[in-house]
Amino acid sequence: MFDWLANPNRFNRITEKTQPFILFISIIALFSGLYFGLFDSPKDYQQGNAVRIMYVHVPSAWLASFLYFSLAISCVFYLVWKHPLADLVSSSIAPIGVLFSALTLITGSLWGKPMWGTWWVWDARLTSMLVLFFFYLGYILLRNAFERKTDGSKTASVLAIVGLINLPIVKFSVDWWHTLHQPASIIKFGGPSIDEKMLLPLSLMFLALSFFSLYLIILNVKTKLIEKKCEALLLKSNLEEIS
Amino acid sequence: MSSKYSFYQIFNSHIKREFLINFRSLIDVISIISFMILIITLFVLGIGPFQEKLGLVSNSIFWIGLILAIIPSLEKTLQRDYDNGWLDQTITSPISLEFILLSKSIAYWLIIIIPLLISLPFFIILLNISLKLIPWLFISILIGGLSISLVGIIGSALTLGAKRGNILLPILIIPFIIPILIFGVGVSETISVNESPIGNLFLLIGFTLIYLVISPFISAFLIRIAISR
Repeated sequence: MFDWLANPNRFNRITEKTQPFILFISIIALFSGLYFGLFDSPKDYQQGNAVRIMYVHVPSAWLASFLYFSLAISCVFYLVWKHPLADLVSSSIAPIGVLFSALTLITGSLWGKPMWGTWWVWDARLTSMLVLFFFYLGYILLRNAFERKTDGSKTASVLAIVGLINLPIVKFSVDWWHTLHQPASIIKFGGPSIDEKMLLPLSLMFLALSFFSLYLIILNVKTKLIEKKCEALLLKSNLEEIS
Repeated sequence: MSSKYSFYQIFNSHIKREFLINFRSLIDVISIISFMILIITLFVLGIGPFQEKLGLVSNSIFWIGLILAIIPSLEKTLQRDYDNGWLDQTITSPISLEFILLSKSIAYWLIIIIPLLISLPFFIILLNISLKLIPWLFISILIGGLSISLVGIIGSALTLGAKRGNILLPILIIPFIIPILIFGVGVSETISVNESPIGNLFLLIGFTLIYLVISPFISAFLIRIAISR
């Protein structure tokens, strides 16, 4: 299946058709999610209206971790099966992951100011999100630290796979170092412990942001494919000039 | 492996080689210890000379000083061998690269840990750490040092041949050192409040075992990428 998708021309043809739908779904979900989140969901009995930051904060936190996972998976595909497209995918995921982890940290601190009274608390989850941010950053820095591009992408892929150790730490840190942050309340045994009226906008926002990041990733990969084509054409014309 | 030497002989000769390189000129060892003393001095100057304030953070200062002092020397561990062609020779030898890297990281561990353990009483006096911590500190440094050197080999292999590798290396490996720091400090902290440090110590050992398993394979893979350029 992945062999089938790894052909750049086929990738271009498929995404040509699906890309508008992906954007459409993400925009619809974004607006309906924002409407339900901002106007048609109950206030928290403790936090009041400030709880609405959750509808941006929580989906971006999920996406930041999920994108790291998919980054590492596509790095595995690149290292094991040597698909050049997998490398392009992982290099396109990285900046979007940086974006979402930064968004999580910023909205988290905006939420923390009215709730905890400080912008930043050295709590397990905040710290591990910061570490995740630095994993993305390290990946991008290492990628660009080599003379030849393939060296950078191979070495950085290894780093991303090793960094996958960090993801379970993000998840379980809540149980390991109990501090201020509330424990996970949606994915746990015995069903979610959150009001259904809050769950709807939350899942809509999650849908919107994940489809939007998929759209951005496809756009990024396409740009990189065109760049590669340009490089190849340039090399070809140089060769023809020489001969 | 079709070599006529046993694993023990190969291991022994690598450790001997590393010791000869590092202890012939004591500069590396002296610089680690003096760097650590200077980091501790900076911390104390930043905090102020108040004994009760220092007592709260002395364990953490000790561990952070240890980690920061080791990091700059990590880059050289493989870079020197890469530059003078030793790694190219090693890859062509019949002995597996993973085993050689394992013995190299164990040798590096011994090289950094022996001077630190010898100077441990000195640091304990400097930071006013209570004396009942000495055996636990001894054990936790011994284990934590092994995992730092295992992670360090990965970091050193990652930045092999990279531009500005010396700046990149700390950014790449500090996230991996975080659990070691947490549980290393945790051992001393639990003792200070008269609780059993076994849980933290076992987690420290657990992380070290994970790194012990993955580090030689990952760094060998990275070195093969670096050599094939």
